[in-house]
Amino acid sequence: MRHIRAAIARLRGLFVSPGADDELREELEAHLEMETAEYIRRGMAPDAARRRALIASGGLTQAAEAVREQRGVPWVNGVVADLRYALRALRHSPAFTIVVIVTLALGVGANTAIFSVVRAVALKALPHDDSGRLVYLRQSTDGQGNESLQFSVPEVRDLRQSVPSLAAIAEYAPWFHTLQRDDLTIRLDVALVSGNFFEVMGLGPALGRLIRPTDDGVGATPVMVLTHELWTTVFGRDTTIVGRSVRIDERPVTVVGVLERAPFFPHPVDAILNMAVSSHHTSAMMVEGRTHRMTEVFGRLAAGATLEGARAEVDAVHARMRGEFKDAYDPGSHYMVAVIPFREALTERAELTLWLLIGAAAFVLIIAAANVANLTLMRGVRREPELILRSALGAKRGRLRRLLLVENLVLAAVGTAFGLVIALNGVGLLASLVARYSPRAGEIRLDAAVLAFAVMLAIALAVVLSVIASLPKEGTLAATIAGGMRRVSGSLRNQRLQRALVVAQVAVSVVLLAGAGLLTRTMIRLASVDTGLVSQQVLTLQMPLVDPSRFDPTTDGATKELYQRLQREVRAIPGVLEVGVGSTMPLRSSLIALDVKAEGRATPSGEAIPQAELRTASAEYFRASGIPLVQGRLFAATDRAGATRVAIVNEAFVSRVLGGSDPIGKRFAFTGDVLRFTPFSAEWRTIVGVARNTQDGGLDAPPRPVAFVPFDQELTVMGGLVIRADGGAQGLHASAMRVARRLAPGVPIEDALTIEQIKDESIAPRRLNAALVSAFGILAVVIAAVGLAGVLAFSVSARTSEIGIRMSLGADAGRIERMVLREGAGLLLAGLAIGAVGAWLAARAIRGLLFGVEPHDPVTLAGVTLMMALIGILACWIPAVRASRIDPAITMRL
Amino acid sequence: MVQKLDVKQGTLALMILRTLDVLGALHGYGVARRIEETSGNRLKLNYGTLYPALVKLEQEGFVTTEWRQSENNRRAKYYSLTPAGKTQLARETREWHETADLIAAFLAPRRATP
Repeated sequence: MRHIRAAIARLRGLFVSPGADDELREELEAHLEMETAEYIRRGMAPDAARRRALIASGGLTQAAEAVREQRGVPWVNGVVADLRYALRALRHSPAFTIVVIVTLALGVGANTAIFSVVRAVALKALPHDDSGRLVYLRQSTDGQGNESLQFSVPEVRDLRQSVPSLAAIAEYAPWFHTLQRDDLTIRLDVALVSGNFFEVMGLGPALGRLIRPTDDGVGATPVMVLTHELWTTVFGRDTTIVGRSVRIDERPVTVVGVLERAPFFPHPVDAILNMAVSSHHTSAMMVEGRTHRMTEVFGRLAAGATLEGARAEVDAVHARMRGEFKDAYDPGSHYMVAVIPFREALTERAELTLWLLIGAAAFVLIIAAANVANLTLMRGVRREPELILRSALGAKRGRLRRLLLVENLVLAAVGTAFGLVIALNGVGLLASLVARYSPRAGEIRLDAAVLAFAVMLAIALAVVLSVIASLPKEGTLAATIAGGMRRVSGSLRNQRLQRALVVAQVAVSVVLLAGAGLLTRTMIRLASVDTGLVSQQVLTLQMPLVDPSRFDPTTDGATKELYQRLQREVRAIPGVLEVGVGSTMPLRSSLIALDVKAEGRATPSGEAIPQAELRTASAEYFRASGIPLVQGRLFAATDRAGATRVAIVNEAFVSRVLGGSDPIGKRFAFTGDVLRFTPFSAEWRTIVGVARNTQDGGLDAPPRPVAFVPFDQELTVMGGLVIRADGGAQGLHASAMRVARRLAPGVPIEDALTIEQIKDESIAPRRLNAALVSAFGILAVVIAAVGLAGVLAFSVSARTSEIGIRMSLGADAGRIERMVLREGAGLLLAGLAIGAVGAWLAARAIRGLLFGVEPHDPVTLAGVTLMMALIGILACWIPAVRASRIDPAITMRL
Repeated sequence: MVQKLDVKQGTLALMILRTLDVLGALHGYGVARRIEETSGNRLKLNYGTLYPALVKLEQEGFVTTEWRQSENNRRAKYYSLTPAGKTQLARETREWHETADLIAAFLAPRRATP
């Protein structure tokens, strides 16, 4: 009780009125007078009596200070005073303050932004219940483009029956539908899921209900669950949407609920429907076809089951399937199934980029902190006389340490505030980069946890900076005064520390520069990759006139007629040189890849059966796209339906399917179990031409074999227009879209992009990588140069007298310059050497992000080392020249 | 000359309370004089020791203060005991006796072992 009362009184004492101090002074003065009067009464002279009383008092000021400490909370009082003092001191050295704040802002800003990304993408808890038990299954084979084959319904059935470690297995087939409303028509990426999907994933509704097991089966009513994003963007968060019917591909579907916010993997989707909505997914073809792989599979580990156990069981089941169905699993292709924890699967693509960003940001922070530490050390040495004086006047070491801590906290706080502004601006940019790698990029934001991170970072920096500064030992005043208060040298320990920090700065800069150099070269290499197309002024419009799951031979004639009309009318737009029609746009990979066999050529046993993309194309398609023919002829009007089946193949097809032999006149056919599920013929096709390879899988991927077949000779499953312009292709965008909208209302148009834009999509992420790391690298170099120059300048100022003596003994300016440069060169060389080793090691880590350049590319490594060396020498030059201008007469007089 | 002792931690509050109990309301100088005299001038109280102790007792609610004219017509701050202060004095006195007895027992000359 009394403690509480005392504490309250003390807290009140913090805000004590100025009158309290006057009162205290009066009280003490009264005491002094009474005591003096007493001495006088005993017979002392008034002067002597007062002196005696003063001595006995033990000092009025000290007493007042002791009372003030008792009255308030001493710690807070002291800090307030320190704070006031710190602000004043910082205002008096603006250059130091600004450099430190800017450096800290950059370091903290970069790290906070990157932390917000890492937190959202990798650290934050998933909305899925018990997400640690969730696994993703991935079937793959050797060969390009087969990293994830998905599963067929019979395969899922086998897994369900024979993997007891997985309590439940959910299916999710990526699909697409067109949402038709009076006001808009958009294509939706959807997931067709089994009834247990949400139960397995552990997700709940934000509104209404989700799809449940009763929605399974052929006869079930089609229902749709909206994702939170679609509900927000297209339905404006309309809560009355639940229970309403929307038109999906010309049929009504009931919206039953809205899903809570959750990342969707492996593809982002707009809505989730039950399988019943698609006749294709419930057809015998799909349900019975072992090679009809269209389903992603997720599982939930059973209670007590382990990941290893599940892996072993899945491997066993898969081995049994491979043995039983030899046709479905070509032994040469090495079918396998991986069981991956869901969380790992979510981040696997982002991991390398994340590490790159974390590494770069951490390096910047190290350099920034080193620089601030150096500046603080130097300032500390300049302040040595002041600190010594304060300690002589009775300031305890703890008190001085606190003063420094408060000062550094002020610097860190202001730096962090600016850093947060930088982070706020950088987060959007980072989110757009990470969106390419992680479905969780939408969760990136600066929230309380990120702020807490920034604040902790700032406090940690301030504490470290306060601890490294050396304080005068108590009782060093005499020695300092004897030295004329000019013992501005810094202890040997401090100087070593400063030097080590500069070496580290240079080294880290070299590492960052090397990374920036490699990534920049990657980007340049990528931008200069030949797409294979001779024309760049091309606009593409992907517009599917038919639902690819419902190809219908009876209406195919009308569909083709419509494409031809589109082709004719777009051709009539002024500025259009050529319009082609084809299933897949150039520089885009086709979804249709089938096994192929060449006539009279057996695949050697043990080798994977070759696959080729099937694309339909009109003769104009090649001219419009600018795909040059290297051999043979284009399609002719005679290559129509019913005539001999012909094909144009690309160079990759010739080398990989035909073994490089002369292709013209050779025949090949599509083959394999999967062909049953497509409308494509297994008849032999005669090769009439060879087209140049184009970079359809991205600029960094080797071209896949492609077989073009005449648009008129196959059922239309997909289609789009390729429009070649005589000027800027982008300018045709509006007029081409108008024609398309008029002739085919209600058809979603995608990828209305120019070839330049498509190409750029492939480069953009690398460019962002390169730009980010380059920015960090330049930042590092600038900070390191400032650090180097600063340390040398400090060393020169500490040696002013020595330099003065040398000069008066005959050393000329050149000699002094060389002396300082030598000192700087030592630091620089050490930093360069360590940095080169670091760059060598770091380059291996980013191997996966490089293209067209070796991680240990000697030109890049030598180039960045040279660059750092030049900047370093420049940084040394300034203090060297300044040293040589020292006037010996002046320095000696001091 | 008598050796001057430092005031032991915690005992000063007891001395002040006792002084105010015996002499009634008193200013800081009076308290100091009384304690020094009672100690036979072995204790020497400087202001930096006395006044924080007084402030602390006031904060704890054991003493109250009041400005009054002193005996020689000077304005001075007078301290007097509150009821809570009286209770506290009784408790501390008892505790002090107990402690003193305990220490005395500890420090008693060793009896010869039988």
